[in-house]
Amino acid sequence: MVVMKMIHSLFLINCSGDIFLEKHWKSVVSQSVCDYFFEAQEKAADVENVPPVISTPHHYLISIYRDKLFFVSVIQTEVPPLFVIEFLHRVADTFQDYFGECSEAAIKDNVVIVYELLEEMLDNGFPLATESNILKELIKPPTILRSVVNSITGSSNVGDTLPTGQLSNIPWRRAGVKYTNNEAYFDVVEEIDAIIDKSGSTVFAEIQGVIDACIKLSGMPDLSLSFMNPRLLDDVSFHPCIRFKRWESERVLSFIPPDGNFRLISYRVSSQNLVAIPVYVKHSISFKENSSCGRFDITIGPKQNMGKTIEGITVTVHMPKVVLNMNLTPTQGSYTFDPVTKVLTWDVGKITPQKLPSLKGLVNLQSGAPKPEENPSLNIQFKIQQLAISGLKVNRLDMYGEKYKPFKGVKYVTKAGKFQVRT
Amino acid sequence: MPYLGSEDVVKELKKALCNPHIQADRLRYRNVIQRVIRHMTQGLDMSSVFMEMVKASATVDIVQKKLVYLYMCTYAPLKPDLALLAINTLCKDCSDPNPMVRGLALRSMCSLRMPGVQEYIQQPILNGLRDKASYVRRVAVLGCAKMHNLHGDSEVDGALVNELYSLLRDQDPIVVVNCLRSLEEILKQEGGVVINKPIAHHLLNRMSKLDQWGQAEVLNFLLRYQPRSEEELFDILNLLDSFLKSSSPGVVMGATKLFLILAKKFPHVQTDVLVRVKGPLLAACSSESRELCFAALCHVRQILHSLPGHFSSHYKKFFCSYSEPHYIKLQKVEVLCELVNDENVQQVLEELRGYCTDVSADFAQAAIFAIGGIARTYTDQCVQILTELLGLRQEHITTVVVQTFRDLVWLCPQCIEAVCHALPGCEENIQDSEGKQALIWLLGVHGERIPNAPYILEDFVENVKSETFPAVKMELLTALLRLFLSRPAECQDMLGRLLYYCIEEEKDMAVRDRGLFYYRLLLVGIDEVKRILCSPKSDPSLGLLEDPAERPVNSWASDFNTLVPVYGKARWATISKCVGAEHGGSELSHAAPFTISGHLISEENKERVQETPDSEAFMLVPNCQLTAEYFEKTWLSLEVAHQQVLPWQGEVHPDTLQMALQVVNIQTIAMSRAGSQPWKAYLSAQDDTGCLFLTELLLEPENSAMQISVKQTEAKTEKLNSFMSVLETVIGTIGDIKS
Repeated sequence: MVVMKMIHSLFLINCSGDIFLEKHWKSVVSQSVCDYFFEAQEKAADVENVPPVISTPHHYLISIYRDKLFFVSVIQTEVPPLFVIEFLHRVADTFQDYFGECSEAAIKDNVVIVYELLEEMLDNGFPLATESNILKELIKPPTILRSVVNSITGSSNVGDTLPTGQLSNIPWRRAGVKYTNNEAYFDVVEEIDAIIDKSGSTVFAEIQGVIDACIKLSGMPDLSLSFMNPRLLDDVSFHPCIRFKRWESERVLSFIPPDGNFRLISYRVSSQNLVAIPVYVKHSISFKENSSCGRFDITIGPKQNMGKTIEGITVTVHMPKVVLNMNLTPTQGSYTFDPVTKVLTWDVGKITPQKLPSLKGLVNLQSGAPKPEENPSLNIQFKIQQLAISGLKVNRLDMYGEKYKPFKGVKYVTKAGKFQVRT
Repeated sequence: MPYLGSEDVVKELKKALCNPHIQADRLRYRNVIQRVIRHMTQGLDMSSVFMEMVKASATVDIVQKKLVYLYMCTYAPLKPDLALLAINTLCKDCSDPNPMVRGLALRSMCSLRMPGVQEYIQQPILNGLRDKASYVRRVAVLGCAKMHNLHGDSEVDGALVNELYSLLRDQDPIVVVNCLRSLEEILKQEGGVVINKPIAHHLLNRMSKLDQWGQAEVLNFLLRYQPRSEEELFDILNLLDSFLKSSSPGVVMGATKLFLILAKKFPHVQTDVLVRVKGPLLAACSSESRELCFAALCHVRQILHSLPGHFSSHYKKFFCSYSEPHYIKLQKVEVLCELVNDENVQQVLEELRGYCTDVSADFAQAAIFAIGGIARTYTDQCVQILTELLGLRQEHITTVVVQTFRDLVWLCPQCIEAVCHALPGCEENIQDSEGKQALIWLLGVHGERIPNAPYILEDFVENVKSETFPAVKMELLTALLRLFLSRPAECQDMLGRLLYYCIEEEKDMAVRDRGLFYYRLLLVGIDEVKRILCSPKSDPSLGLLEDPAERPVNSWASDFNTLVPVYGKARWATISKCVGAEHGGSELSHAAPFTISGHLISEENKERVQETPDSEAFMLVPNCQLTAEYFEKTWLSLEVAHQQVLPWQGEVHPDTLQMALQVVNIQTIAMSRAGSQPWKAYLSAQDDTGCLFLTELLLEPENSAMQISVKQTEAKTEKLNSFMSVLETVIGTIGDIKS
């Protein structure tokens, strides 16, 4: 067993290869260690393909890629890789949470807060405070108003008192929470990952669901959430606050919630007959042999949508390299084709069943080049409000331990995850 | 990001920091300090304003304090004399009424990486351990480890260690975890923090109160606890059960590993656990985070080594979506290749067939190799798909298909016929060295079944002058000679031409030698050529060697949830070795002198080394770093096991000797200077069974012999002899060089 010395240093690198921030928790590691990372980046051609674990003669680099930024951590000894990757994502999540976006500009603008956060999140290379609500008491997030006020009064954005959560016996909830309006909201969000083959039959489909909660309740409420059909859920992972035994025996989620926003559970529904596919695509894409043009024609229609409107539809297609340009006409929405990246994007909007949206026209090919081996795959995004496609329904929410009557709400939404149609 | 004019920036900031008007205006002052930090974070050298920044630390503004602390921690090692000035302020802040300030000040003080700071931080740390605010205790506990590092890791403060052990019972969960981390570092010489029964059970009971990071780490610490009875073992497993369903993949993996290790004597429990984590693991494989997917996929592959059918019904989870990054696709293809069974083979092959025409040549080739792998079991279907691929006449596809064929006919002779049928025509679409070699090899070995084989080879012979790869020419020589044996009439003439070219015109020596060799062989007579060249054409038994049967879970359990599955074992061993060697005596190697060597060279690797007949059964492990104290203690407690005298002339060059010993993994503990009389050296080495060899070299003045005394921690004569022969070789060699 080797001493776990976790994260030694962290470098933030943008897509053009500039190291724009570094932080060292133990000794300073020279920037030159990132050369190994750049080497791998060069080899990978596309930034998306840089492997997450790279070894160098003295260190290991474990990196994540988020919002066009690389978070590269320097590790000196054997570590559990998933642990480090998870932690790096937590750092990125925290930036997102604090600054509204996790971008180079936001990080540079708030560089001082970034350092304060990194200092609190890790000490001596070990993860410390990472719960958003506890961090926010240690370091207040910037708001436009506050930065104006601060600049006038010169007051600080640091809590002057110790966060109360630090003293509570339940690590995820601070003591003495008070609200005038007591509310508990749950969002059931389901994403469909699917691969549909040429003929329209499902090769693979699965639902990844989460229940995100926003709890603003005073005191120490003890909640029980039950479902109409809990047996739907295949693999469930729980927030640490949930009493596992109770779920095992009664299929009820019983917990003292953290204060504010958090993810209550995530689950999968993978038995294929349970996964409804809400859209279908009719397509005909053809490239003629020895000709400099081809035809492109796709139509989208609703299928198994449980009577709800499908909206926010976007179709993205990576066209083959030999495609020079595309001349298309959409019946609704607008499309763009980038001749450099060869990406076709069609912003469809919503489907009205009376007139199905379609996009058709001509494809200009590089003359003389052999016709593409394979037709491109279509990547589809969509959204259905008020529906959990798995059929999951919350039955009731009960609260114990407090006297007041909270306002309760549940929202459902279904989205496309990695939804791919092969042509 | 150094840029022009950086000196001006520093000068300007320095002036601003000294300006009393700015100092009086709190906001402007802080802004200047922020600019200093901003430049510092961009990698600009800001150390020259250290004095001014230290002054700025005397403030009530907590943000300004934080900024200055940050600055001091970065530059203190460069300006140790000035940093001591700052310590006064920090010391004062350590007794501030605001716990936040106390914590911050203490943390910054402990992070000042410079000599001499220990004496100032000791008292504040001890006070901090008893602080009523848990925030301060957390900082103080980790501070103990930092202080210990500053002391040069030498003596362990027993009282401090006891205090930390008692703080394991602290009510704040993070203090508890920090205690473990701190003790682990302080006690690394002794093998780290001891997890005895009361501590183990205490930690187990606190698990649910910890955050995910704490849980993951405690699970890792618990690995070193051995339950006393079967009953206790199962109690522990029951307690841990819910962590297999944690929302954090890190905790799930940590819990799985602990289960696997604790239940090492109960294979059915291990299998059961792997079934239970199937869900979470599959979820991680399709996680939003591509990096998590990757790491999870690597672990899936590891599990498949022991339970090949484990994920077979979920094979569709491993189908690639085109938008995924490469490293994930490649892992998925490997997984698909491993989980094929009778039920899913059709679908998996169809899917892989689709990848073979992917835009990315690398991915397409990986898919083809995967089909080649599956072909060992499902030969006919795969060979048919591969043959169809040849029809596409794409260079990058054809070359890999032919290479796959070459590897396949060797293992599965039943497909020779089909392969031979598919080969003609391939030569038009192969340009690279690997592909040509494979094709030529196939034509040479199986040419008697391919009607136009001599004519394809003839093309290669015609163009041999413009052939750029020597390896292809070598392959061509061998292939043509082989084919000549079965079809002499068609080959004789061009064989003559090829041999002439290779002997008379070829510039590459290896090719020329090979040509000459074959020429002379032919002079000996055709029977002799046959005897030498006609070896078996296939060997199905080799397949068993290549994919060893299902490995027991215990063979990889200790590697689970480490970087080993990500790298593959063999690569990991070399990387680690390299890290260890380059680090020499630095941090890594003395982090855990005994354990580290055991961990990096895994059990399995050791066995493999022992099995191979041409390497010795005796192996010294690298990185066996003993401290001088430990060496002395052990040396004095042991009897001399072996004494020997070797001839030696003149003086010793300690550097040369030390280096030579290093090569064979014998470490030098101490050595007299060159020329001293008598000259002495103390060496240590450890073999793969953990047996230590301690050695004294003694060179008496006016005595032309080196006296060697060896002591051994375990009395094993055989090992001792092996060790002596290694040592003799080194000393003999060095002696020879000198004389």
